[in-house]
Amino acid sequence: MSSFKDPFDARTSLTRGCSCGRHTDEAAHQADLAGQTADSEMLGNRVVEAAVVRALFPHDATRRRFLNAVGASTALAAISTFFPLGAAKEAFAQSGRLEKTSLKVGFIPITCATPIIMSQPMGFYARQGLNVDVVKTAGWAVIRDKTINKEYDAAHMLSPMPLAISLGVGSSPIPYTMPAVENINGQAITLAIKHKDKRDPKSWKGFKFAVPFDYSMHNYLLRYFLAEHGLDPDRDVQIRSVPPPEMVANLRADNIDGFLAPDPVNQRAVYDGVGYIHTLTKDIWAGHPCCAFAASREFVTKLPNTYRALLKAIMEATAFASKPENRKQIAEAIAPANYLNQPVTVVEQVLTGTFADGLGNIRKEPNRIDFDPFPWHSFAIWIMTQMKRWGQLKGNVDYAKVAREVFLATDAMKLMKEVGMKPPATTTKKFSVMGKEFDPAKPEDYIASFAIKRT
Amino acid sequence: MNEPLIRVEGISKKFTGRDGAVTTVFEDLHFSVDPGEFVCLIGHSGCGKTTILNVLSGLEQSSSGYVFVGGREVSGPSLDRAVIFQSHALMPWLTVMGNIAFAVSSRWPEWSREKVREHSQKYIDLVNLTGSEKKRPAELSGGMKQRVGIARALSIQPKMLLMDEPFSALDALTRGVLQEEVLRICAETRQTVFMITHDVDEAILLADKIILMTNGPYAKVAEIVVNTMPRSRTRHDLHKHPHYYRIRNHLIDFLVDRSKAFAGDSASHDPRHPPLVAPGLDPAEAAALPAAGKPLVAVK
Amino acid sequence: MNRLMSWRAPVLSLAFFLLLVGVWHALTLPKSAQQTVDSEYAALVGAAAATGQKSAFPAPAEVGAKIVEHLKEPFYDRGPNDKGIGIQLGYSVARVLLGYLLAALVAIPVGFLIGMSPTVYRALDPYIQVLKPISPLAWMPLALFTLKDSSVSAIFVIFICSLWPMLINTAFGVASVRREWLNVARTLEVGSVRTAFRVILPAAAPTIMTGMRISIGIAWLVIVAAEMLVGGTGIGYFVWNEWNNLSITNILTAILAIGVVGMLLDLMLARLTRLVTFPE
Repeated sequence: MSSFKDPFDARTSLTRGCSCGRHTDEAAHQADLAGQTADSEMLGNRVVEAAVVRALFPHDATRRRFLNAVGASTALAAISTFFPLGAAKEAFAQSGRLEKTSLKVGFIPITCATPIIMSQPMGFYARQGLNVDVVKTAGWAVIRDKTINKEYDAAHMLSPMPLAISLGVGSSPIPYTMPAVENINGQAITLAIKHKDKRDPKSWKGFKFAVPFDYSMHNYLLRYFLAEHGLDPDRDVQIRSVPPPEMVANLRADNIDGFLAPDPVNQRAVYDGVGYIHTLTKDIWAGHPCCAFAASREFVTKLPNTYRALLKAIMEATAFASKPENRKQIAEAIAPANYLNQPVTVVEQVLTGTFADGLGNIRKEPNRIDFDPFPWHSFAIWIMTQMKRWGQLKGNVDYAKVAREVFLATDAMKLMKEVGMKPPATTTKKFSVMGKEFDPAKPEDYIASFAIKRT
Repeated sequence: MNEPLIRVEGISKKFTGRDGAVTTVFEDLHFSVDPGEFVCLIGHSGCGKTTILNVLSGLEQSSSGYVFVGGREVSGPSLDRAVIFQSHALMPWLTVMGNIAFAVSSRWPEWSREKVREHSQKYIDLVNLTGSEKKRPAELSGGMKQRVGIARALSIQPKMLLMDEPFSALDALTRGVLQEEVLRICAETRQTVFMITHDVDEAILLADKIILMTNGPYAKVAEIVVNTMPRSRTRHDLHKHPHYYRIRNHLIDFLVDRSKAFAGDSASHDPRHPPLVAPGLDPAEAAALPAAGKPLVAVK
Repeated sequence: MNRLMSWRAPVLSLAFFLLLVGVWHALTLPKSAQQTVDSEYAALVGAAAATGQKSAFPAPAEVGAKIVEHLKEPFYDRGPNDKGIGIQLGYSVARVLLGYLLAALVAIPVGFLIGMSPTVYRALDPYIQVLKPISPLAWMPLALFTLKDSSVSAIFVIFICSLWPMLINTAFGVASVRREWLNVARTLEVGSVRTAFRVILPAAAPTIMTGMRISIGIAWLVIVAAEMLVGGTGIGYFVWNEWNNLSITNILTAILAIGVVGMLLDLMLARLTRLVTFPE
């Protein structure tokens, strides 16, 4: 609760105690301040300033040295030039008091998590008065367990995961929500270099493929892609679930023939000379969702202001990331060891869409990955049709209801407007996957229309 | 007559084997030890010598019969009866001082550390181990280890010492030295001792009375030999005394022949009153003795 | 002569080391290859890929440089996911010691009771025999599910795997305390608590310490694997994070560090064992 101290006072410790020094703790301080509306605005400003300064100088000692060296007013001016303090203060003033300011958000080190990750080094969380630790996590099952166990307040998930958790597929059902999609597109099918002449999927019989998780867009897209080319994904090839970091090593060791993986895994395979990018997933389904920002329903209902602030930070970051001119800067921010831990060029190629394909060509695909937070209900319905198609989900499902409860499109619409994005007018839309139209109103007919399925 | 310090009344020991067969190691033993007396028990292996000692110490229970110490029945081990084990049983993680101090502080838990140390030192000096206080058992020779065992037993000032073949693991030279040491200490402290041995010379040197056991199973007390040699004896002039060879021959004769045959002529044997014999005396000397309450038979 | 002899082993050791590094160096010598792609493309991929090869195993010099780099700054902290190798090792050691000490707190008293009573020993033996061979990592999902906290789960896994060797050795050590020492205590009318602490514990201590030494070895093996699973902090996480980055150099550094720390832990226990061991 050090957020109310004057962060530009070199003597202030931002980690504990009361801000004015007249009270034993911050609660007493606040009780005193209650009713002093004139003060409260200033207080709000302080919170924002403190958050920004804290984000810039996480260690008190460093901050003191800096402030002592340049003086508080100079520091404030200096920070204001490159950080829109005014805007941040304003944003804070709109929302209610945050129930919790220190949050932990889990992520898997892949470029899908870009908005979640970049919000930390680039200050999007701090602008909302949040002090967020983004914690790298070893795998999807772990991120699921840690979120269920409340070690994480919110997490980066694969968009089918909140649906699976809510439906109780693969774990006991827990009400889960997905307030925002993080990225669209951004995945690829990568094959081992030795298969560089087998460009036709029909020649892939007997291949071993890896996907990051059973409940992933990767799994559903790969199955869809193979099935459209006449290969039965359960009988003609093998598909296993392999953690992304191990995919390149397995490809290198010839344990697998290829994978449909998130980036930077694909680009990393090219960088290390072990694989080539065969198909970008945007060419399977342009604008498909991949990863998501997810939180338990409990978090959303119990800490509404914190949830709103967090989601807003993600929305702003997503909006920022959706502009191609910002991508290079983002790549530099998220490549270090604390985040993705990848060579900058790998991340940059993924984000800018100008990349080496592993066969000696440089391709320019600006839409290789894009960022659009809107959680279309139709996406959820499509995912559930695939769960059902491949036998993960059995029995009758109220597609529209589950989609509504898990994919929080209304919240997203509201917040998108607030951060200056243009949300769509409806929550469902028709789209086509590999040229085949999907009508979210008729999910069962859609499943029935496939020749290869496990129903 | 004074109440004996130890009175053993009809003790026996039976073991049930794995097949359910019951083995009687010894039965119906009767004997007593008077205060200040040094009693040795001799017998072949298998007659349950160590078991008898364990019953006296209270470590084991007899299958039947009673043991009285100072008129009270023995119900378990007691600080009144200190045991000197055949294998010395020193705690290897403690020093000489530590081993003795452990016993002393068990006897007098209220004593200060300093007092315990002082008292222990007295007994280390008594067994001539001065200077080895800080050594661990592993650094000591077999004889020195047994000295520590003796010092530990004596340090708790027991009413009596129970010794289980204490010198059998030692070489002959060391054994002799230690025997004399024990002789000296017993003379100094008037300690009551019950000792098990299979060494005839050791028994003649140390004992006032020697209890002879028949062979097991069903071992019994065959007779009790009174050592008629004067108490101020040493190893050097022992054999010069006229009683020596008579007693020795009697004992060896028993161990070699009679201990085996004894079971046969049990008709005349009363286990409650085993014959008290004094083979050291010649018939004339025996006749000269005043007729005491107990029969005293001189054997040729 | 003796001085000369005492030098032989270290010299031989050094020779082995040089041989190993030499072979390693020879095997990782860069293959002379022409750049097969244009330079614009080459800038986008790794050096090996630019010459039409797969990325190679690092040479000893690279690993050496990386080790020096880590040793220069072992305790840096650049956020929750990027901390110095010293800090990571610290986390792992702290976890191991915590789980291990908890296990000792349970295993030694329980082992004592089991060792004192043959009936309890026989009654619990089947459970111990079934639970003992279970791979510690097999407990992980169960721990995560029930304890609902990954760092507690990691400590639990350390606890459960350190438990058995200590428990079994304590029970065995206590059960095989020499009868005669117990008899000495009995003839001295020593109470059972004093007997336990002054006779049985020191007598069984070497056996118990052997169990503790086995346990710390297992615990150290397991923590690396456990941290790779749950992530967050620790040397296991460090390995996983560098695996994620396919940085074999860093992984080799970590492997070396794991070995050295494991050896130090073992040495520590060996030293302690020597303190309680008595010659007979």
